[in-house]
Amino acid sequence: MMALCGLGVLGQAVGLNGRLAATEAVVTGGMLDLIPAFDWQKVVVAPWTVDIGLYGWMMLMAFLVTTACGLIGNYLLLRRLALVGDAISHSVLPGLVAGFLIFGSLGIGPMLVGAVLAGVLTTVLIELIHSHSRVKADAAIGITFCSLFALGVLLINVYAGQVHLDAECVLYGELSHVPWAEQVTVLGVSMPLPVLVMGVATGIVALLTGLFYKELLISSFDAGLAAAFGFRPRVIHYTLMAMLSLVVVAAFESVGAILVIAMLILPGATAQLLSTRLPVCFGLSVAHAALSSVLGVHLGLWLGCSLAAAVVVAGTGLFGLAWGVSLMGRRRVEIESGSA
Amino acid sequence: MTNNEMPPALELHDVSVSYHKKPVLYGVDMALPAGSLAGLIGPNGAGKSTLIKAAMGLLPVHSGWVKFFGEPLEGVRKRVGYVPQREEVDWDFPVSVMDVVLMGRYGHLGWLRRPGKADRRVAEESLEKVGMLPFRDRQISNLSGGQQQRVFLARALAQDSDLYLMDEPFAGVDAATEKAIITLLKEWREKGKTILVVHHDLTTARDYYDRLVLLNMRVVASGPTADVFTMELLQKTYGGRLTILSDVAAEAQRAEDGVKI
Amino acid sequence: MRFLILIALLLLTEGSANASRIGDVGEVDAWGQAVRFFSFQDASLRLALAGALLVGLNCGLLGGYVVVRRMALVGDMLSHAVLPGIVLGFLWAQTKDPVAILIGALLAGAAATGVSSLLARTTRLKPDAIQGLVLASFYGVGICLLGLVQNLPTGAKSGLDKFLFGQAAGLSGNDVMMMAVATGLSLVLVGWLYHDLLALSFHRGFGQTLGLKMGLLHGVIMLLTAFAIIVAMQAVGVVLVSAMLIIPAATAYLLTDRMHRLLGLSAVLGMAAAGVGAFGSFLGNNLPTGPLMVLAGALFFAAAFLFSPRHGWVTRVLRQRRRRARAERENTLKAMHRVLEDHGLAGVSVREGVTLAELSAQRRESVGESGERVRDLVRAGLATVSQDGHILFFTPAGEQRARAIVRNHRLWELYLTHAASFSPDHVHDQAEEIEHVLGEETVRQLSRRLDFPEVDPHGRPIPTVDAIHGVGAATEKGGLGYQ
Repeated sequence: MMALCGLGVLGQAVGLNGRLAATEAVVTGGMLDLIPAFDWQKVVVAPWTVDIGLYGWMMLMAFLVTTACGLIGNYLLLRRLALVGDAISHSVLPGLVAGFLIFGSLGIGPMLVGAVLAGVLTTVLIELIHSHSRVKADAAIGITFCSLFALGVLLINVYAGQVHLDAECVLYGELSHVPWAEQVTVLGVSMPLPVLVMGVATGIVALLTGLFYKELLISSFDAGLAAAFGFRPRVIHYTLMAMLSLVVVAAFESVGAILVIAMLILPGATAQLLSTRLPVCFGLSVAHAALSSVLGVHLGLWLGCSLAAAVVVAGTGLFGLAWGVSLMGRRRVEIESGSA
Repeated sequence: MTNNEMPPALELHDVSVSYHKKPVLYGVDMALPAGSLAGLIGPNGAGKSTLIKAAMGLLPVHSGWVKFFGEPLEGVRKRVGYVPQREEVDWDFPVSVMDVVLMGRYGHLGWLRRPGKADRRVAEESLEKVGMLPFRDRQISNLSGGQQQRVFLARALAQDSDLYLMDEPFAGVDAATEKAIITLLKEWREKGKTILVVHHDLTTARDYYDRLVLLNMRVVASGPTADVFTMELLQKTYGGRLTILSDVAAEAQRAEDGVKI
Repeated sequence: MRFLILIALLLLTEGSANASRIGDVGEVDAWGQAVRFFSFQDASLRLALAGALLVGLNCGLLGGYVVVRRMALVGDMLSHAVLPGIVLGFLWAQTKDPVAILIGALLAGAAATGVSSLLARTTRLKPDAIQGLVLASFYGVGICLLGLVQNLPTGAKSGLDKFLFGQAAGLSGNDVMMMAVATGLSLVLVGWLYHDLLALSFHRGFGQTLGLKMGLLHGVIMLLTAFAIIVAMQAVGVVLVSAMLIIPAATAYLLTDRMHRLLGLSAVLGMAAAGVGAFGSFLGNNLPTGPLMVLAGALFFAAAFLFSPRHGWVTRVLRQRRRRARAERENTLKAMHRVLEDHGLAGVSVREGVTLAELSAQRRESVGESGERVRDLVRAGLATVSQDGHILFFTPAGEQRARAIVRNHRLWELYLTHAASFSPDHVHDQAEEIEHVLGEETVRQLSRRLDFPEVDPHGRPIPTVDAIHGVGAATEKGGLGYQ
């Protein structure tokens, strides 16, 4: 999976080389050239008609990634672990490399095992540093994920000949570089393999968060109470972190390690601005995921930039909108209470 | 005894403060004559710390104004000292006891100057006063709660202000320290300083302070302890919610009835 | 702008992420490379090394504030959030102007900080969520803008990869100059404003009540940090730049308890990590500088985490074990004293012995276990054993120590029954724990407060100070001062 992705980036770079040589010093264009003209046919019509075979899958893929991240993200926000999400999204890198070096291939199995182990290791290290020294939690997070990430990059460089894994790709996955050509047929529907994989991952996440709703909720709200009920909050915590690692790895290819943080936080944060009830938040997160995926792909097509980044920008826009709505709601409450 | 010409050390007029749009203080009026040792009491969430922080300009004030010695804070900063709650500070912070007390001198240094020999001497004297001089080079995390509070008092002393606003100086300190602190505060009052203390222990409030301010979002009553520490006013302040009230109220009742305790 | 284009060229010729090593290694062996490194004759090496050291110094210094103020991940947020500013700066200038990029980046950093505090004030979102949100959104916008720039006919791939992994190898003289300016500025301002910044870091509210301009100071330190991050990103990359802020400072935080020492140490550690990273990268084939710098820093941190004289994990475990062993020895001595006392011989003569069987009976343990403890005592020079190994004698020091501990124990028991109204059958275990940590001064106070008692609650005599010091010549140093 990853090897292909690296090739895509490389190809792009080579293409640029020629262009750069031609225009190295002379910089002419203005800011106005920056935003391309809005081509209705290309941006809005084509993705739903002629090109639906490609863009339809892309939108679905974006939706699946954002949904899986958003569901977990809601719990991360509740547990004030947003930055642990940030940390894990970076520190699974050495896990991937190690998985490759040990198993000698980059199949889904080794990748997932490596990532989950790295994710759990990150959590353990953060806790170890935090609880056995005077270093505070925030610094412990920073130390852990930076060191692990550095280790990952180093490993890739050392074993560059053997690992067909591009650190750049891990950081900057891109929807359009996903190997769409690999088709599989499931239940009579022919679909790209990555969509199937992500679909399964999202399904598992949705299933688990649904099944263990009560346990997750109570252990997020009051770990002591959960322990008293015999729910083993530590087990739940580590399971959540393992799930997070899984989703992060599954999402790497399409969005990369940095933008995945946006997918983790934006849907949940947007939902929490609009509602205070967790089930409603889940619904809103999924809605946010769907809207930002569709809008994002169109935006990316219009501007001709990275589709993954465009999905994030669309999600940010939606967040801004929700922020505005929540501010207006607040003001209304104020006026009402003021007049009363 | 009080000079009518002299403006109050601290005066709040119609001060309202909101936190996340929820009002915490609502139209607070209050005046504290210079030279008094006053307790600010009220139930949890009554806005006691908020009042002090708002007065010191640490929280935005929705409406109203605050004056110190008849002037806005900016002009008389050096005459006003603030002693925050112990919990607000990270006691793992890499500073020594001396460093913390020297901070009290920063206001006198002005912008960009560093503390000199004279400042160190003042800081040492202050530490001596609270019995903490032997600890001057200790890192602050190696102190007990009572010792930490003494360090804060030494810092206030080093500030050499005329009015002190103290946020719960008795919270979590041992009995010996509590006694030492109140003795020190009474000494300050004798020197003409004015002190306003956020206090949560009703059983001691009457003995410690010569004035009381009863607060619950609004000032319920404010004045000499004898006038204010009555069952009726306390009940009004606490809304009859606290169990401790029954004891104190009974005691207050006896006092009101003229029974010697 | 030159550095961007330079890097773009470097990048395109060399491929991708592994372009960031310094040494241009052919078939030279490691030793040869090391010699080459320390001769400092390579101009590009000198630049790279100078850049790395400056970055280490600057980030280490400012990191001190970041870590003690619990803002460790603010660096992470800033390093990501400046990306749109970098791209817009590039677009706006349209010339080779690094200043424009810098200004753009600083503005983006300021905007990110502003949005964060606005979100904190107007929503219920928690600080960690806000940080992650701002980081990712700004970054997403930045990547999107970058895509637009690449689509321009003029758009070089504007050094994105340089900001990704950093390339100490690609540093130009201008870049290093910029780093020097940033570092110099930090040094001057931190030195100048040291006390004001201390007040800000310790308790912002208190500083404000003193009339110090806390908002301004916070702005200054954030601006310095942003500046440091932007210039450092070229050497270590967007992700790892926060490591250079956090790791050396956290290491120093474990090693010292004073702010000025922490800042100095952190700067030195930052430089050391940078130096080791640069050297390693030069030495090995295919090794990128940034990750090596970070890993060197991480090693320093691990060492401090485990072995810091006061806060190290291993140090603390060892200290605890030593204390336990000492308590164990003292308990054995106490048991010997009890046995002799029961024989009516305590303090009569050092020449009287205790059999191993008596000792083990007194301590309620097997003879084998007692043998172990006896060996420990002999090793510590507190007791001697008869030829056949069955009879145990105090040395003078051992006798003295035994009386001291018995005195502590019995005084404390007495104190508990008197002052804390424990019943006499409850106090023994309590006393067991405390007696080993009582200092001489405390014991004297206890004795004075109890009016110099002679017997404990069980009616056994309490050794007097004279009795302790009368035996043996060993001088006491701070209570139970032997190790």
